[in-house]
Amino acid sequence: MGPLAAMIVREAKIRATNFTFLFFDLFYPLLYLLVFGVGINAAMGSPALAGGVGYNAFFLAGVLGMASIGIATNSSWSFFLDRDNGIFVEMLTYPMRRSEYLLGKVLFNLAVAVGQAALTLALGAALLRIPVRWERLPLLAAVIVGGVAGWFFFFSVFALRIRRNDIFNSVINILYFALMFASSLFYPLAPLPAWFRAAALANPLTWEVDLLRYASIGLGAPRQLGWEAGAFAFFTGAGFLAAVRSLREQG
Amino acid sequence: MAAPVLEVENLVKVYERRGQPPVRALDGVSFAVPRGEIFGLLGPNGAGKTTLLKVLATLLRPSSGTARIEGCDVTVRPLEARRRIAMVLQETAGELLLSVRDNLLTFARFHGVAAAAARRRAAEVMEKFQIAAEAERKVQDLSGGMRRRVQVAKMFLADTAVLFLDEFSTGMDPILKRAVMGFLREEAARGRTIVLTTQILSEAEELCADILILNRGRQAARGDLNTLKLLSAGVADVALTFAALPPGVEAAVAALAPLRSRLDGNTVELSLKAEEARVLEIVAGLARMGRVLRVEVGGASLEDVFVELLRGR
Repeated sequence: MGPLAAMIVREAKIRATNFTFLFFDLFYPLLYLLVFGVGINAAMGSPALAGGVGYNAFFLAGVLGMASIGIATNSSWSFFLDRDNGIFVEMLTYPMRRSEYLLGKVLFNLAVAVGQAALTLALGAALLRIPVRWERLPLLAAVIVGGVAGWFFFFSVFALRIRRNDIFNSVINILYFALMFASSLFYPLAPLPAWFRAAALANPLTWEVDLLRYASIGLGAPRQLGWEAGAFAFFTGAGFLAAVRSLREQG
Repeated sequence: MAAPVLEVENLVKVYERRGQPPVRALDGVSFAVPRGEIFGLLGPNGAGKTTLLKVLATLLRPSSGTARIEGCDVTVRPLEARRRIAMVLQETAGELLLSVRDNLLTFARFHGVAAAAARRRAAEVMEKFQIAAEAERKVQDLSGGMRRRVQVAKMFLADTAVLFLDEFSTGMDPILKRAVMGFLREEAARGRTIVLTTQILSEAEELCADILILNRGRQAARGDLNTLKLLSAGVADVALTFAALPPGVEAAVAALAPLRSRLDGNTVELSLKAEEARVLEIVAGLARMGRVLRVEVGGASLEDVFVELLRGR
């Protein structure tokens, strides 16, 4: 077994020690959609948004984007767990590349994210009658994988460079707030003020959610989605290189 | 002499600190260790031992100089170097959420040991380290000493060319420590090179064929035990056990200005730098102060060498 496979098995074994957490991870976006989505939809009088879709359908991509950030932060937070257990530095002496360490840490969680998205789509379609574009499932899976990986690399830079768990948590809370509300996650951007739209369009979460929305319900302009896909790929690549560099500077 | 497995040449590591003068943790250290040898790295706190191990384990990049493991430069080919090493850190390290068995198997997987061989070796090693009864318990539920056992035990799962041990016996009871020292000798006899740092000089005295004493990042002394003891020629260790500690013995010992001295119950221990005849006179003088149950006079220990080398540093 190679080091990458060894890393995936390790992560899977650690996650398997906490089934409650794993179960919640799988159902958390669906629960968010059912509670928050249905509530807002009802409160706003079931409006038809851009493209004639209902709020539940619109919000589906939002909860998937939110869930990808959640999985990514949990995975990056595990660097603190490894550090507290003393195993972090020991693992840096194992015969594996720093990039394998990073990829191994996220690969098992990518599988969880894809499973989570499949459950959310299936039950969202069945319970809320969301018009899911099933033929675009492979694209959706690719966006989910890219999204979780991109955010994991981004948050790993903070987890590796910030030595204190409490400071990391504060930084993550601030980032969460800025990323989620200045994005297309909860609402369409078109009716918003120009400065807000500009900020949201510079936000990688907007790029990811727009791609998820296109892949799940077919909403979005192909030209804008093209540059958003390129920008998110760049964000993921840059995050990966920065995280590998941060890992190399540990010890 | 066999070809060296570990070669260190003029290694320098300088820590740059913002707003403070740089610290030269390693200052031109050079040595070579042949296959199958147990090599001791000694020195006071802050001497540079852990920094040196971190450079050898590819955790830190040296500022200059080279270090090679079986010919692989740790800076140029770090992955190749890591394939040849295993390391027990000074701090307790473990997969706390996994069982003892999974800790061992996880380590084996990372080192490319085939699954069947890993399971067989894990069972053997758990027997050896007396942790077989805890095989399915999570490491987080074990005591500190047991966690340390697991940490050291897993190093025996993979056949890396070099094993680094940073204060390996921390938290081990004396019986287990003695057993582990035996395992280390067996590993060395099988051709594995072992580099250990320790503050317990008797461990180094018992285990190491070659010893490097570091002080302030530089080599203070180097050689086998006998060579090092020559550095303390003329030093004698004296121990007298009295039936009851005589009054004034403490002052009498202090007046002799020994290299070091210790009072342990009714026993007086001191190291003296003096001619043999003078040492015997001193022993006789002290013996006249009370009824003596036991007298021991010996040559310098590694501790004497260590203390003398680093005195006034």
